[in-house]
Amino acid sequence: MNDYVSTALAVTVFVGAVRIGTPLLLAAIGEMVTERSGILNLGIEGILTFSAFIAFVTVDRTDNLVLGVVFGALAGVLVGLVMAVLTVTFKVEQVVAGLSLNLLGVGFSFYLLRAVFDNAASDLPSVRTWDVVAIPGLSSIPWFGEVLFTQHWLTYVAFAMLPLVWLVLNRTGFGLELRSVGDAPGAADLRGVSIERTQYAALAFGGFAAGLAGTFLSIFSTGLFFPTIAAGRGWIALAIVIFGNWRLGRILAGALFFGYLEAYQLTIQGQGTDVPQQLLLALPFVLTLVALVLNRTRSNVPLHLGVPYLRGQR
Amino acid sequence: MTDVESPPAVDEAASAETPIGPVETARPGRGWRSGWKVERRLETPWFLEVAAIVGAILVAIAVSAILIALAGSDVLDSYRALYNGAFGTRNATIETLVQATPLIFTGLAAAFAFRAKVWNIGGEGQLWAGTMGAFWASLIFAGAMPRALLIVVVMAFAAVFGALWAGIAAVLRTRFGVNEIIATVMLNFVIINVLSYLLSDLWQDPASFYYQSERMPDVVALPRLFEGGRLHLGFVIALAMAAVVWFILERTSFGYEVRSIGVNPRVASYGGIISNRIVLATMLVSGAIAGLAGGSELTGIHLRLQLDIVSGLGFTGIIIALVARLRPVGVVAAAIVAGAVTNGATTMQLSTGVPAALVDVLTGLTLVFVLIGAVVVNYRLRRVSIVEGQA
Repeated sequence: MNDYVSTALAVTVFVGAVRIGTPLLLAAIGEMVTERSGILNLGIEGILTFSAFIAFVTVDRTDNLVLGVVFGALAGVLVGLVMAVLTVTFKVEQVVAGLSLNLLGVGFSFYLLRAVFDNAASDLPSVRTWDVVAIPGLSSIPWFGEVLFTQHWLTYVAFAMLPLVWLVLNRTGFGLELRSVGDAPGAADLRGVSIERTQYAALAFGGFAAGLAGTFLSIFSTGLFFPTIAAGRGWIALAIVIFGNWRLGRILAGALFFGYLEAYQLTIQGQGTDVPQQLLLALPFVLTLVALVLNRTRSNVPLHLGVPYLRGQR
Repeated sequence: MTDVESPPAVDEAASAETPIGPVETARPGRGWRSGWKVERRLETPWFLEVAAIVGAILVAIAVSAILIALAGSDVLDSYRALYNGAFGTRNATIETLVQATPLIFTGLAAAFAFRAKVWNIGGEGQLWAGTMGAFWASLIFAGAMPRALLIVVVMAFAAVFGALWAGIAAVLRTRFGVNEIIATVMLNFVIINVLSYLLSDLWQDPASFYYQSERMPDVVALPRLFEGGRLHLGFVIALAMAAVVWFILERTSFGYEVRSIGVNPRVASYGGIISNRIVLATMLVSGAIAGLAGGSELTGIHLRLQLDIVSGLGFTGIIIALVARLRPVGVVAAAIVAGAVTNGATTMQLSTGVPAALVDVLTGLTLVFVLIGAVVVNYRLRRVSIVEGQA
């Protein structure tokens, strides 16, 4: 018993929590921005898979990690824009469009994987990964230095996004326009705000952030790609946005919580335990539901979320 | 200006906007041009909707051809192999129907829920629940009752287990306001781990190293329809379910309520329909149908519970339901096409080296183009005359 507690407090578990929480944080920030513009993008899981694959292939073929990040992020933007074409231009039901992009994103990755690597799924190569960057000075602070300042550079980017996104959403004209498009598109339209352009931008940003998250999975943390690499993280990110009540602080807390959970599970699994592995694997999904049940404040939900805007119709 | 009775002091701007009588500037032959206008159709003829689906499939095939070429294979050879694998021989055709069988169930499950705009994405998990129910029933009842009754009981367990697993998500939505999309997806991840645990412990075949159960007794196997080929009674049950779903949706008051909350829950509630009750019932029916898919696959084909026997069928069912525009007859047709592609892809991979995973791309692309096509056919281009200066 004592063992579980001391593991729960170990520094390495907290280090892992921040690392594993990074893709969740990135994807959830992007989804929050997208949803603020009134579009529900359910395709996150597909974007994670697709961009993880593109980043992986890029590094495998060019051995260039920077290029891997660039193409991984662009892959995310691409899927985001396809979602925009479907939902903003053609007004396809958002739930349906998001689901189909999920299936397509995973399907595409699986096909290309087999096509690029000659059907040899059993001995896939692993690729180089980014090294951890210790921030000079800050990383020598006890505990915090290790947990917060000895991470991947993309983790720092994710954390830096929090104040930036907050500023853009709450202190700029564009942010005001974006939120008004999600809350009252009729009024925004009347004021001359282009609904379509705003939602395209929001979906592109959401895709970009999810693309970075997928990239993190393949060429930062594992160096591998397999079709189930996203493992439900896209869906958990969606849930984090909901029980985070569309607020960045609570989204950060949610991402770190689920990161911690997985880090803890991986550690005690590594130590060997009597608790069945499957129970531990199911735990994050059960806790997601528990979190949604316990935390039912939805005061910040964009009022027009999921409703296509048709001028002249209510 | 002459023969209309108007008050003497007409506001000048107003009269300029609504000129009465001939307007001098609009000389005949000048100021008119013809143009095209996109406008919404009041009613979309059925043949256009069908044409949109066929067109979408053709576009998806064309795009997939590029992917085949990228993989370095001959496009025509590959598609020929695909077709021959699906319908080339009597056995191939039968096998196509075998592949279509679970997809008819999962397609119907998704279509039924989606008609109420209840987004049950958990067909996959409910299907797994169905296999577990069927397996458990066969553990308890095999040998205790005559074969016909046993099969009925086993399939009933599959349906009930599927319904119960869907019911959890339904209660989470109706009682606790949890979005059913998230709930059903999470439950998919939960049940696969539950099954994995059972197969590593209580239900594991003691003679096997792998996560799999012992082989089930032959007495629970669904009877085959033909000598040769694996087509089993599940196919007939699937077709019957399509008829039942059609009947419920189109000919019963429950079906009317399901469709009503799908169109507009608020209006439905004015009509006395209690939305939560319908959501719950819809999820239970949808889950039961998905559960039947599990029971049918387990007792019709595999007779052994394993972790990967039915994976992905629930998600393909969603695609099928959407491509079929949520209509039961369309689900059967789309499931047979998807079954054909799945079946043919194996042959294609063997003879031309194109990865069978092309199926996922082909079906996914078809869905995306169907979605676009379904919107586009609601509009039409009309040649119109436009007066210059007026919009």
